[in-house]
Amino acid sequence: MPAIVRIVDLVKNYYMGTQTVHVLKGLNLTFEEGDFVALMGPSGSGKSTLLNVLGCLDRPTSGSYFLGDVDVAQMSDDQLSEVRSTYLGFIFQSYNLLPQYTVVENVELPLLYQGIKLDEKTKARCVALAEMVGLAERLDHRPLQLSGGQQQRVAIARSLVNDPHLILGDEPTGNLDTKTSVEIMQMLRELNRSGKTIIMVTHENDIAEWARRVVRLRDGRVESDTRNDTRMVMEMGR
Amino acid sequence: MNAYLQLSPTNPALIGLVVLLVCGLGAWLVVTGRILTGGGAAKVRRSVSLAVKSLWLHKLRSFLSVLGIIIGTSAVISLMAFGEGSMQDALADIKRQGATNIIVRSVKPPDDSATANRSFVTSYGLNAKDLSRFSTFGDAISRMVPIRVQPTEARYLERMSNARVIATVPGYAEVNQLEMSRGRFLVEADDHEIKNVCVLGSEIADKLFPTEDPMDNSVILRSMRFTVVGVVKERMPTGGSGGSQAAEEYNRDIYIPFRTSLARFGEIIFTRSSGSRSAEKVNISQVTLTVDAEVDSPTGRLKVQAVGDEIKRMLDKDHYKRDTAVTVPLDRLEEAERAQNRFTNLLVLIASISLVVGGIGIMNIMLATVTERTREIGIRRALGAKRRDITMQFLVEAVVQTTVGGLCGVLLGLGMVFTVPVVWKLIAGSALPAKVHVPSIFLSLFVSIGVGVLFGWYPAQRAARLDPIEALRHD
Repeated sequence: MPAIVRIVDLVKNYYMGTQTVHVLKGLNLTFEEGDFVALMGPSGSGKSTLLNVLGCLDRPTSGSYFLGDVDVAQMSDDQLSEVRSTYLGFIFQSYNLLPQYTVVENVELPLLYQGIKLDEKTKARCVALAEMVGLAERLDHRPLQLSGGQQQRVAIARSLVNDPHLILGDEPTGNLDTKTSVEIMQMLRELNRSGKTIIMVTHENDIAEWARRVVRLRDGRVESDTRNDTRMVMEMGR
Repeated sequence: MNAYLQLSPTNPALIGLVVLLVCGLGAWLVVTGRILTGGGAAKVRRSVSLAVKSLWLHKLRSFLSVLGIIIGTSAVISLMAFGEGSMQDALADIKRQGATNIIVRSVKPPDDSATANRSFVTSYGLNAKDLSRFSTFGDAISRMVPIRVQPTEARYLERMSNARVIATVPGYAEVNQLEMSRGRFLVEADDHEIKNVCVLGSEIADKLFPTEDPMDNSVILRSMRFTVVGVVKERMPTGGSGGSQAAEEYNRDIYIPFRTSLARFGEIIFTRSSGSRSAEKVNISQVTLTVDAEVDSPTGRLKVQAVGDEIKRMLDKDHYKRDTAVTVPLDRLEEAERAQNRFTNLLVLIASISLVVGGIGIMNIMLATVTERTREIGIRRALGAKRRDITMQFLVEAVVQTTVGGLCGVLLGLGMVFTVPVVWKLIAGSALPAKVHVPSIFLSLFVSIGVGVLFGWYPAQRAARLDPIEALRHD
């Protein structure tokens, strides 16, 4: 499998007044295309910071971040926006839907910034995605009329609308009960099986078990990097 | 020239407006340029509908924040209209007195009584030579009306009344807008044939002929008989203004042909008043020259001024005693226009302040909105929005607000222009002239759009500069 994400000596420091906080202390990681990765670690381990860097929302202090073949580490703000818009999809813990928009409009949102023409075709695509995540009956509902699980499904549909190379999840089940979490994880695994690369942050072991690979961070360094037993992953699907 | 803003570099209203205009225009160009390079008309429509949508979420707040713009725009438009209305009213008054006229009068030199010349007869003023000199202007002067004023007793049978005998030419009726109630005014033939005819003012006609018909009867002036050929309609006396134009009371005047006066009464005018008597040798009391020019065109005005200056120069050269005075009513007209312009500019300046205040209101609300919608900004940024997209979003919201506000203000202002005079008339009983000043509509609309860009810029920039991660974490 070709590498879709390769980070080399990734360092991220935060400057708080005169103090420098070393969050990521020289990470080297490679994620392959079609993989399903769970980033774990205690709070303060740097997993969220890593996800922000991977999501092009933040720039590393030093080191390289190759997304595909391109080093995006030192790109300008506008270029990073472009990368997010074209190659990345986001799923957040708190769903982050816009309350004034309907389900379909929320799904459509990333297309707004792609500079493409919004017409019946793109609309049909958004409707299809919403139907795919099981919201065919609720196309014109607003987020506040939906349950948490339904909102997260809207977010998943939204993350797919630009056909991204990489989907990033920031504790996608963090606000959901166990049953709904399983539903969401099943959906993510389906996506992964259809070829999408997914990287998600979680601190729950049973959620991490859905992933193929688990990377544990501690104090800004990789603590362990394990592959889940394929057999076990298959069993969970059953 | 009826331009509203006076084009002088020291005019504060003008400077303010120009600065606002230039800023607004510049920012507007930048914005439209960005919109157009960023995807054309569809994108404009999309961002406008987006803006309308989020403004609609907070209808009352949007309305309140735009209220300042509405008031400012309507104030500009209505103040301009009332200013323009009253100005045109006042100017029409002056124009009625003949704005292209130049009035040359004979005045008694101030030091004359002290001179060693121990004559009873003081001699001064315009004479026939001056008249012929005036005619060297040729076509520039379309009409020349000399008058010669002599206070005289007028008699008919046993009735007698003090009158002012004015010897003049037919053009006088036109210059002074006299209207006849009976008969005719003097004609050319009266002058040429030195006829003893006269035209009576309404009051003098009533006094001398309370019961009889004055027409074709004879009035005795200085023991000479003058046949009445007409009676002038009663006319409101004109007010004198600042000593430059004497008040004239037309109703006690008797008009006789100019040459008749010279031939019958001679050059010396005797006046007798309450025991004292004086004799003055005055050929011509006053000459009204009408310059052939259009009062509403700048070249016409220049021409009037030029002729006036030339006449002054001509008279200065010849009349060393300074016994003439030249009045150019146009000066008064321009003075009035200037005063009116100053006044209107001041009003507009005050109204513009409310536009600026409205802009600050918008900025205030926008800043609050940006804080409130921080998370939305974060979401949009995460989903691929560039800083520019966020700037645009908020800028368009501000501009949509001020544009809609400006339009409402224009409508409100026009409504005021059309309703206030009616109400005013009902309440105060007097007319309140108003005339819509069309450029002010576009100007205020344009300025309110500019205010939106100007005051929306900073909040929009602030929104765009938010760190996406921070913004996403914001509650």
